[in-house]
Amino acid sequence: MGTSLLDAELVKRVQAGETGAFDILVQKYQHKVINLVGRFVSDPAECQDIAQDAFIKAYRAIGNFRGDSQFYTWLYRIAANTAKNYLASRARKSPGYTIDVDDAEHFEGESGLKEFANPESLLLTDEIRATIFSAIEKLPDDLKSAITLRELDGLSYEEIAEVMDCPIGTVRSRIFRARDVIDKELRPLLE
Amino acid sequence: MTDQDEKLSFLLDDHAGENANADLDEVMGDVNLQYRARRYRMIGEVMRHELPKAIDTNFHASVMAQIRNQDLQPATRPVVTETGPGNSSILSWIGLKPFAGLAVAASVAIVTVALWQPLKQEPGLGDGGLVSADQQKIQQLAKQQIQGGVVTASTRVQPLGMRWKVEREMPELQQKLNAYLVTHTEYSNSMQSLIPQARVAGFDSQQ
Repeated sequence: MGTSLLDAELVKRVQAGETGAFDILVQKYQHKVINLVGRFVSDPAECQDIAQDAFIKAYRAIGNFRGDSQFYTWLYRIAANTAKNYLASRARKSPGYTIDVDDAEHFEGESGLKEFANPESLLLTDEIRATIFSAIEKLPDDLKSAITLRELDGLSYEEIAEVMDCPIGTVRSRIFRARDVIDKELRPLLE
Repeated sequence: MTDQDEKLSFLLDDHAGENANADLDEVMGDVNLQYRARRYRMIGEVMRHELPKAIDTNFHASVMAQIRNQDLQPATRPVVTETGPGNSSILSWIGLKPFAGLAVAASVAIVTVALWQPLKQEPGLGDGGLVSADQQKIQQLAKQQIQGGVVTASTRVQPLGMRWKVEREMPELQQKLNAYLVTHTEYSNSMQSLIPQARVAGFDSQQ
């Protein structure tokens, strides 16, 4: 899924001094970074702290980002290094696993977060998940196909238009309508 | 469902086209649009099973609050980690000390290597003679200023296998070598990162 143009523009704005643009980047990548850090660290509070540290380091270093790689690739490296440095300094491993530090980022097992960490946030996340899946199931087939091809398969609008044999404008409209329907169910949970 | 919401959907998919910058300006200026963008993204994260087990809706606000509170600025040079609190003059000395220690260690190494060179007897010099290149090197070292005075030394060294023996008639050279070792010891005792001083000791290949 290519969002490089949006990221490039946001990075440019951050480098020009628009802090709000970095807020957009944090909102966009916070869950990915938290998931990544969660492969190294099991404690959710520490996970959040490390992820925050990673974003702050990225903000401080963003002036050095030249766009040779995708922004998320660059951010990923910072987050992974921040987590590894944390582990090295604390000299401990995730409980229940004996994986090497260097292998942790490739570990596709459980996120390692403790189940009892924060009941409210766990409950909220479960509700969000259930609501979204339920809403998708109720979508008409054309909207369901469009949103699935976009979000799960990562196809571009042009590719989806080819698969669904319809104009690109129709693809854009279907994807937006699918999001709008799901959002109506989701919004009350997050407001 | 508004035109704005539709434009947001296109923007998130990198399909905003020519109006991308204007649409982005709208998003950055409207917190409700930002929340909607977050929800749109969450749909994809849930479908791809990328949502963390426990989400924190205030995470991004915490990050931005830290950035603002610390008055952080995007750096244009690599960030240097602070060494810790303390007197700035002491800090500058502590900062320079490893480099001074390394310089001393390098000097000791040069002296050690110079004295460990295998001997070759030049014709006509007899016992104690040195290869002329080694002789020059040692003479250079001997003439270097140390502790306020130039120490000259005759550099007759008697070979014993691979081991150099500094004859007693060269006390100046002995003083110089000892001075290097003493100075290096002072540093190595205080700095954990330095390797122990190099002892001027060789081995006799014949033993």
